Amino acid sequence: MFLTRKHLSMTKLFAATSILTLGVASAAVAADAPSKADVLTTYANIAEAKYDDSLIAAKALQEAVNALIAEPTDATLNAARAAWIAARVPYQQTEVYRFGNAIVDDWEGKVNAWPLDEGLIDYVDAAYGGPTDENEFAALNVIANPSFELSGETIDASEITPELLGETLHEADGIEANVATGYHAIEFLLWGQDMNGHGSGAGNRPYTDYVQGDDCTGGNCDRRGQYLSAATALLVSDLEWMADQWKEGGEARAALSADEAAGVSAILTGMGSLSYGEQAGERMRLGLMLNDPEEEHDCFSDNTHNSHYYDGLGIQNVYLGSYTRIDGTPVSGASLSDLVIASDPSLDAEMKVKLANTMQALGRLKSTAEAGFAYDQMLERGNEGGELLIMGGVNGLVDQTKTIERIVNTLELDQIDFEGSDSLDNPDAVFQ
Amino acid sequence: MRILAFAVAMTLPFSALAQDRGPILTDTVEGHILPGFANLADATGTLAQAAQANCAAGSPELRAAYHAAFDDWISVSHLRFGPSEVDDRAFALAFWPDTKGFTPKALTDLIAAEDTAVESSKEFAQTSIAGRGFFALEQLLYDPKFADQGSAPYRCALIQAITADIDVNARAMSADWDSYATTLTQPGENNPYRSSDEAMQELYKALVTGLEFTGDTRVGRPMGTFDRPRPNRAEARRSERSLRHVELSLIALRDLAARLSADHFEIAADLDGAFNKAITRAQSLDDPSLAGVATPQGRFRVEALQQSINDIRDIVSTELGPTLGISAGFNSLDGD
Repeated sequence: MFLTRKHLSMTKLFAATSILTLGVASAAVAADAPSKADVLTTYANIAEAKYDDSLIAAKALQEAVNALIAEPTDATLNAARAAWIAARVPYQQTEVYRFGNAIVDDWEGKVNAWPLDEGLIDYVDAAYGGPTDENEFAALNVIANPSFELSGETIDASEITPELLGETLHEADGIEANVATGYHAIEFLLWGQDMNGHGSGAGNRPYTDYVQGDDCTGGNCDRRGQYLSAATALLVSDLEWMADQWKEGGEARAALSADEAAGVSAILTGMGSLSYGEQAGERMRLGLMLNDPEEEHDCFSDNTHNSHYYDGLGIQNVYLGSYTRIDGTPVSGASLSDLVIASDPSLDAEMKVKLANTMQALGRLKSTAEAGFAYDQMLERGNEGGELLIMGGVNGLVDQTKTIERIVNTLELDQIDFEGSDSLDNPDAVFQ
Repeated sequence: MRILAFAVAMTLPFSALAQDRGPILTDTVEGHILPGFANLADATGTLAQAAQANCAAGSPELRAAYHAAFDDWISVSHLRFGPSEVDDRAFALAFWPDTKGFTPKALTDLIAAEDTAVESSKEFAQTSIAGRGFFALEQLLYDPKFADQGSAPYRCALIQAITADIDVNARAMSADWDSYATTLTQPGENNPYRSSDEAMQELYKALVTGLEFTGDTRVGRPMGTFDRPRPNRAEARRSERSLRHVELSLIALRDLAARLSADHFEIAADLDGAFNKAITRAQSLDDPSLAGVATPQGRFRVEALQQSINDIRDIVSTELGPTLGISAGFNSLDGD
């Protein structure tokens, strides 16, 4: 049932009165409040589980990729694509950790950077164009070029290794769109460019792009296989590192418990920054306003609806302190929700309703996309149904951000500056 | 402890608990917001008329009207809430930074297809924000690349459509602000702002976000790194308005800061001093498109300007916010 505003304020008034009139009972209410330490432990446990799940799924992706390279067929290519889509489910739910935790924010560009100038990596359609004002290397095509100039230096790319991708090519020339590693680089290598514009269908790279010898399409099939293998190995090792940071004694966990109030603030910062500036703004509303079919988060695979859905789900399950692992194991404990209930139950109810509203809107977007109306079709100019679906998600996310701000004020975290997140201290641009 | 504090609070008169924000809210709306949007709507009306009278890219009247209207937009561009956010109006007025070159692409596509959306304001409002607003107009007026693209009549129709669309959006914002004003000055249960604290937070957020955008984006983007300055990323560099935007936004933000700090004399004085220092630095720079970032001396001076903006930000976050009892909350720059 939807709680009306009046309903909420009545509850609040009642709670206040009870506290004042029942002196003894008020102690009981206080006892109900979980300690901040317990809330932070649950938050860290869920992070540990999500990154571990992401690692498990990335290893499955690696196996599938190895099978594709060893024996390229439609079946092995499709199996690798399915493994990539499955790997996104736990990973997207970790994104709520990004903006509140500097250690995650500093690292995440390696695994989930977007948008990318994919011409850096491999062949692209002629309509893609060449180098741009912003990026000289937008069409470098390292798969076709074993040697090239980068900032006055000759780079030996005769062998495509994880080191070459991670240390030389990624963000080459200081350009963020030079994405050489992570999920979206792998996505491009599995699907290729989506040439359907606003029409139906995703990228359609043939398996023969990985066939060695005369049947190779797209050229340089050996180097393409090397690239895919290196990028996947790098994804696995990067996720391994992050999963370790959340284990008992890990750095991410330690940073959280150093200052409990700052730790709780980090939870809310992650929820609010992902909801508002990142997801509602950059990832959803901007693409809609630009009507560009490539302005979607998973543009090669047409998996954007899932990316948005699991981002939203991650925000909700962090608030509720309850996550279900990819093998079905529940991970739960004292939650931020419990903490809010202890000081303002009506505000907790408001938060829960808004998170549920967002999930309903994102669920509508997901189910419609799964029924065949893809996200890039929704972005088309003048497509009213698509606009309604996307704006439903945007409005839900914007609305829930207001309540997250109220929680910050209610928990008296307001004088803790939202710092410690690179993205807050150094936003290179509104939409980047 | 919390419960004790709460019980004590209940026994105190309300005014001792909360700051009376009413006068500041009213003053900011009436003295800062409403006049700003009214000026913008006047200037965009003149701009649309100028384009109707003479749509040639080199027309001095059209260019003058473009500069005047853009000035008025920059002076309210930090007020990104309420009427500015309805129907993507603010985005459609000013899509920047354009990290992927959407604006030239959108314009090229419209011109190549001779898209008939230019014939109807409703249709044109459906097109990509990248091909609308001041930054699209700037490229048509000042970028030689567009001087002979497509046919002259179509370019003319496109310039007229863009200026008319700017005017429609600016007038809609101004008109809506007349009624949205009370939303901000009379917060309540059935209002986006539930309390005067929330209304105040909106204004404080506008100040914080405006300073962040001017310091990190308007100044920071062309700076790039010492080894790799990016002069081509300066805002509106084609019409040499980059530095002017920094100066105009600081002047507007100084006015907002003065109103928000009106009850706190010392902070108001600190802020005024810091703003004046930054504005003086901007005015003495003599580098309209910030192209100087490409030279070591030029970069040094732009860096000094950025530092003086960061000094203002420090006062706002460490003195003004805590004194007002307001946090910055979340803003659109929070993404990456």
